[in-house]
Amino acid sequence: MGRWITLTVNGSKRRVEVKDNEILLDVLRDKLKVKSVKAACWRGECGLCSILLNGKLVKSCLVLAVEVDGSEILTVEGLARDGELAPIQRSFIEHGALQCGFCTPAFVLASHKLLEENPSASEDEIKESLSGIVCRCGTYYEIIEAIKDASKHYQVRKKV
Amino acid sequence: MSFGAPYLTLPEFTYHKPKSLKEALQLLNEFRDEAKVMAGGVGLIAFMKERLLAPNHVIDIKDIPELKIIEYRKGEGLKIGATVTMSEIEKHDIVREKYVALHQAVKAGSDPIIKNRATLVGNICEAIPWVDGPVPLIAYNAELEIMSVDNVRRMPVSEFIKGPVEISLEPNEIVTSVYLPDLPPEAKSLFMKFNTGSEFALATLAAYVNDSKKPRDARLVYGAVSTKPVRAYEAEKIILTNKNISEAVILAAEKASKEIDVISDVLATEDYRRHLVKLLTINVLSRIFEVG
Repeated sequence: MGRWITLTVNGSKRRVEVKDNEILLDVLRDKLKVKSVKAACWRGECGLCSILLNGKLVKSCLVLAVEVDGSEILTVEGLARDGELAPIQRSFIEHGALQCGFCTPAFVLASHKLLEENPSASEDEIKESLSGIVCRCGTYYEIIEAIKDASKHYQVRKKV
Repeated sequence: MSFGAPYLTLPEFTYHKPKSLKEALQLLNEFRDEAKVMAGGVGLIAFMKERLLAPNHVIDIKDIPELKIIEYRKGEGLKIGATVTMSEIEKHDIVREKYVALHQAVKAGSDPIIKNRATLVGNICEAIPWVDGPVPLIAYNAELEIMSVDNVRRMPVSEFIKGPVEISLEPNEIVTSVYLPDLPPEAKSLFMKFNTGSEFALATLAAYVNDSKKPRDARLVYGAVSTKPVRAYEAEKIILTNKNISEAVILAAEKASKEIDVISDVLATEDYRRHLVKLLTINVLSRIFEVG
């Protein structure tokens, strides 16, 4: 027995049946097949399941699926426009800001959100805003360089 | 927050999302011990994954308009509703300018993604000894507003937290808001946390003084050192009575490290924590009184 909820995931409306005790992370991955949302610690420590829920960055392993009925969800799959990668995605590639790549979707999404809100973020602000996500390969240096480099594109965008 | 390997799923429960406070209180009155109230959920969902809690009903209060309010009124103080998130508190201008110790504690409390969901009232109700939220609130003499279907009461945060995960709350009651009294313009407050490599503190201190030039009211509250936040009453007296403030800071730090109740656990020994209490006190009070 479940209930039907409607979500807008990366711009498209999705209806899905969920049980009251189902976690949003599992519904996204297993039922809606949004695989960029990674499951690693399941308890809010690693940040790899981070999504933008109605514009706010949250860890989807600590969210019930039933409670977000009617919400808008953005994951890294929704960042590209007309087949063109977002500036932060290009910057991650240019700087080689990843090793195994498992944490990359979360870092890309979180940095995209940060630069949209604060395109001139200082290094300290970048570190603080990403402190809830863990990279076990230790590519933090490259990630911070990639964000600093991408910030100019977001500054231009904000002026327009 | 973790005590071991979690289950990946949650125990079964029925989910309720009341639209009004009245409806929420009626549901809670009906289910009582069988139900748990959920605000941000970061604590409750983690606890359920650990099977430390397995309620039959979860009552989500996020849709209740009056609990989302954070507002400051001159002469009355600051009111923070039960579903106001840590992020909203951290960004609030009055909190940053006036309730400095609260701002610092919220900033140090967790990472920014968790803070988009976590709430201050939830932090208080968890009553885990090492959480940061309650410590500055006790330093400000903050009170909670607690409601049930047929009653409204106020209780100081210091009395509400009775021990580790032990609070003064009936099964049919909801903590609806926390009230911080208005502070005099000369008031100063600071929070400092000592931790090594994780957000879990080994010792914290929230200090409040009504006026750093002429202190007549001072409170020193230590968190993460005992089973609940503790005040150093004798050390507070030293600050208020000793004319030489540089000397008072040292004497108060020594007194505080001896007088308060301190425990040993896997994170630190009692001796080490007493040493931290002394260092935190010197550090924080020197900044408040601007002495060497």
